[in-house]
Amino acid sequence: MNILGELALWISLPIAVWGTALGFIGGRRQRGDLVLSAERTVYVTFGLIALASLGVIDTFLNDRFEYWYVANYSSSTLPTFYKVAGLWAGQRGSLLFWLLLLCLFSVLAVWSNRRKNREFMPYVIGTLMVLQTFFIVVLLFAAVNPFERLGFTPVDGAGLNPQLQNYWMTIHPPTLYLGFTAFTIPFAFAMAALFSGRLDSRWILLTRKWILLSWFFLANGIIFGMRWAYEELGWGGYWFWDPVENASLLPWLTATAFLHSVQIQESRGMLKVWNMGLVVATFVLTIFATFLTRSGLIESVHTFAENTTIAFIFLGFMSLVIAVAAVMILYRLPLLKSANQIESFISRESAFLFNNLILVATTFAVMWGTLLPLLSEGFLGQEISVGPAFFNRVNVPFGIAILFLMGVGPVIAWRRASKRNLQKNFLVPTGVGLTAAAVLWMAGARVGLSVMTFGIAAFVLWVIGVEFWKGTRARARIEGEGLLPAFYHLVMRNRRRWGGYIVHVAIVILFTAFAAAPWYTEIRQTLEPGESATIESPLGGTYTLTYEGLSTNFNDVEDNLAWQAVALLSASKDGVPLPPMSAEKRGYIRPAGSTSTEVAIRATPVEDLYVTLADVNTRLVQAGVNDPTQQTATFTFMVKPLVSWIWASAFVLTIGALIGMWPGGQGIPSARSTGAEARTPSPAPTGD
Amino acid sequence: MGSNRRFMIGLVGVAAVVTWLVWTGVSDTMTYFLTPSEYVERLDADPSFRQVGVRIGAVLVPESYEQGAGELEHHFLVHDADDPSVTFPVRYVGVLPDTFNDAPDMVTETVIEGRFDEDGVFDATVLLTKCGSRYEADPEQLRAMNEREHPAG
Amino acid sequence: MLLVTGLIVIGVVAWVVLEPIMRGRAASLERSDDEVSEVEAVRRVRLLALRDTEYDYHMGKLDDADFAALKRELTAEALEAMKAVEEEASTRGGRSSRAEVEAEVAALRRGLRDGSACTRCARMNPSGSRFCASCGTALHLSGSTSA
Repeated sequence: MNILGELALWISLPIAVWGTALGFIGGRRQRGDLVLSAERTVYVTFGLIALASLGVIDTFLNDRFEYWYVANYSSSTLPTFYKVAGLWAGQRGSLLFWLLLLCLFSVLAVWSNRRKNREFMPYVIGTLMVLQTFFIVVLLFAAVNPFERLGFTPVDGAGLNPQLQNYWMTIHPPTLYLGFTAFTIPFAFAMAALFSGRLDSRWILLTRKWILLSWFFLANGIIFGMRWAYEELGWGGYWFWDPVENASLLPWLTATAFLHSVQIQESRGMLKVWNMGLVVATFVLTIFATFLTRSGLIESVHTFAENTTIAFIFLGFMSLVIAVAAVMILYRLPLLKSANQIESFISRESAFLFNNLILVATTFAVMWGTLLPLLSEGFLGQEISVGPAFFNRVNVPFGIAILFLMGVGPVIAWRRASKRNLQKNFLVPTGVGLTAAAVLWMAGARVGLSVMTFGIAAFVLWVIGVEFWKGTRARARIEGEGLLPAFYHLVMRNRRRWGGYIVHVAIVILFTAFAAAPWYTEIRQTLEPGESATIESPLGGTYTLTYEGLSTNFNDVEDNLAWQAVALLSASKDGVPLPPMSAEKRGYIRPAGSTSTEVAIRATPVEDLYVTLADVNTRLVQAGVNDPTQQTATFTFMVKPLVSWIWASAFVLTIGALIGMWPGGQGIPSARSTGAEARTPSPAPTGD
Repeated sequence: MGSNRRFMIGLVGVAAVVTWLVWTGVSDTMTYFLTPSEYVERLDADPSFRQVGVRIGAVLVPESYEQGAGELEHHFLVHDADDPSVTFPVRYVGVLPDTFNDAPDMVTETVIEGRFDEDGVFDATVLLTKCGSRYEADPEQLRAMNEREHPAG
Repeated sequence: MLLVTGLIVIGVVAWVVLEPIMRGRAASLERSDDEVSEVEAVRRVRLLALRDTEYDYHMGKLDDADFAALKRELTAEALEAMKAVEEEASTRGGRSSRAEVEAEVAALRRGLRDGSACTRCARMNPSGSRFCASCGTALHLSGSTSA
C-alpha cells in the first residue's frame, strides 16, 4: 500500500503535466478530443492522489518508522484516531492533503460541468492541473516527500505534539484546508474567463456558490482554530495575532470583500477589474497561508532557514500566478470596462464600496504586521516585530467601521437614497444604539471602544430586525399571506440577501463577544488540599472553588500518557453549588518529556469559568509518589464574559451561509425552458 | 461628477487613516527581534542598549531547567540556534507553556521578551515556545534518541 | 507482485487518458442551448433589480418620487433586456416569427405592468394569480405596487 501510494504520487506527475498541456492546447485549438483527454486526467489524478494519501495513512497505522514523516509525527503509543489525522499533522502530509482536497474539488467542478459551460472547461481544467502539477512537484522535489525514508528503522517514532492531540485540532486544519482549496475553483473559472475572453457575467454566476462555500469553510476553520487555542493553550485567550492565524484570516477578508463587491458587478456591471483582482488576491493568499502555516517562515527566520527550497518554490509560484493574472487582465482590459457609474454617494453601492475599502485596508494592515520581521530584515538589515498591541490598535477601528456599515447597508436603497428617507430610517436605530451605549456606560462599562462596539451592535441588530419585520410585513400585505409563510417566502426567494443578513447577525455576535473581552477577571493562587479560592465575576457574583485533592495516574499506554495529575475542585457561585471541575496536567509517553495542560471550563451563555492547573509538583507525580502532604497546586482562575457567543456565532453563521448556498436561491432559474413555456399558450386565458 | 469626487475624497481619507494607524502602530509597539549573537554584539557596541526591551529568538538548552525560589519562578538557559556557544540564563515568572520541553535531543525554539537585569540574567516578561509541529528532527537526532533509548535495538 | 500492480496501474491510467485521442472521442466545447445566454442573464438581473426596488419602496427606503423615477428607469431597462432576449432567439432561428415576438413582448410588457408576469421566470400567468404557475413565486398585483 505504501509503495503503491508512492508510485501513485510519481505517476500523477506526468498525468498532471499532460492534463495542463492538453487543457490549454485543446482550448486554444478547439480540439474536443484533447479536452476530453485532459478532462480524464482530473479523475485520474484524484484516484492517484487518493492512493498516495491512503499510502501515507497506511504508513502511520502500521507504525512504519523507517519513513521520516511517520518517525517525526507518530509513535507506537499514539491512539489510532490521531494516527489517521497524522496525514495533516505536519508540513509534508499537509501538502499532500491539500493536493487531495484540490483533486476532490477539481473532480466535483469538472463533473458538475460535464454537460454545461463547456467553453470554459478547457481552461478551467488547464488551470486546475497547473495547480496540481505545482503541488506534486513540491511534494516530490522540495524535500517534503512524505514517503522519504530515513535509511534506518527507529524502534519508535518521536511522537505527535501533544497540542495536536486534541479533538479540535483534528477538525480545524481540514476545515481550513477545505476553505483554501474550494477557492481554487472560482480562481480557475476566473482564469478561464480571462483566457477564453468570455468576461460577461457568466463566470461570476458560476462561481458564486463556490466562493460562498470556500468562505464558509474558512470562517468555520478560523473559529475552530480559536476554539482549539482556547481549550488547549491554557491562556484563556483564543486569538493571539500569530502569523499562522493571520495567514488564515487574510484570504477570508478578501473573500468577504469579493462577496460584497460582486453584487455591484452583477447588478450594475461595474468593478470588473477590481473583482477579478480580488479573486486572484484571495487565491494567492490561500497559497500563502498554506505555505506559512506549515513552514514557519516568519517566526523562525533565524533558526530554521534550512528548507529554503520550498520557500523559493512557493514565492516563485505566487509571483507567477500574480504575473500571469495581471498580464491577462491588462490584455482583456477592453472587455472589463465598467458598464455604469455609481449614481449617488448615498446608495447601497457606496456602502459596499466602503466595506471593500476597509476590508482591503485591514488585509494590508494585517499583512504588513505579519511580514514586518521579514521586510525589516530584508530592507533594514534589522529585524523588527510587532505584537498583538499593534494588530488590536489598527484593526479594532476597522472592525468598528465594518460593523457600522453592516447597519447602514440594509437601510439605504440601491442606486440612490434620498436624505429624508435616510434620516427617517436611521432615527430609531441610532437612538437604540446610543441608548444601549449610554446604559452600559452608566452601568460602569468604561472601555470606550468596547462600549462603542456594543452600541453599534445594538444599532445593527435593530436595523436587521426591522428589515426582517418590514420585509415580512410588506410581503404579507402584498400577497395576503400569514406572517410566518410570508417570512419563509421572503427569505427563500432572495436567499443570498437574507442569508447574508443572518451572517451579519453572526458577525455582530462575534464582535460583541470580542468587545466584552476586556472585562475578564483573573487570579492565580496556590492551594493546599481543602483550601478555597474566590473569584469575582465581572458580571456580578462570586465563585468559590475548593481544591479537593490530586488524583494521579501512570503509564496509560492506550492513551499515550506517561502520567496524569488531575486536580479536583468543587465549585459554587454565591453559595449555590455547581458541578465539580477537574483541571489537569499530563505528560506524554511520546514525545518524551512533553506535557499538556487540560483546562476545566464551565461555560454558560454569559460567562466562562476557566481553571488551569498552572503548577503542580510534577517531579513527584512523575516519580510515582502521590503523597497527600505534597499536593500543593497553583491554579489560574479566570472568569471570561461572553466567550460562548463566539462558538454560537459559528452556528448562526453556518445557518446564514447554508441559506445563501441552498440550490436555487437568488430567484434566477435556468430559464430558457421557462422562457419557452411563456411562449406556449397558458392553460387559462391571460387577462388581456 | 459630484459623487465621483466624493468617492475620491473617501478613498484618500481611508488610505490616509490606514497609513496613519499602521505607521503610529508600528512605531509605538515595535520591538527589535534579535538572535542571542546579534544581541550580545549590540550590547558590546552600545552598553545602553541594555535598557531597551527586546525580543530574542533562541533555542532552549536541554536539561537546563530549574524551578526558582518564588512562586512560578523558572530558570533556564538559551543559546543561539546557529552558534551554541552564545548562551545566557533566563528568569521567567509565570505559567510555562506546554511546549516548553527541555528533554534531551529536543530543539525547543523559544521567543523571549524582556531585558537583562544587573546580574546578567535575562528577565523575560513573555515566553513563547514554538509548537513542535513546526519543528522537525533531523535523522541524526532520531538516530541518537533511538540508540539511547533502545541500546539493543 | 508489486511490479505487476504498478504496471497495471500505469497501463490503466495511460489507457483512460489516451483513449479519447486514439479513438477520436471528443468533449463538447460549445455552449449547449439550454444555458443562460448573456442577454438572458441581463434580463434576469434587470427583473430582480425591479423586484428589489419595489421591496425597498414598501420597506420605506425610497420615497415616492425616487421610487417612481427608479421604477421608470428599471422598467425601461427590463423591457429593453426582454426585447434583446427575443431578438437573440429569433436570430438564432427560433420558432417565433417577427410578429409573434412582437406580440409576446407586448404581452410581457402588459404582464409586467399589471403584475401577471412573473418577475422571477417571466412566465405569463392568468391575471389575478397570486403565485406563478411555473416557479411558485408570489406575484405582485398591480393595485398594490404602483406608486
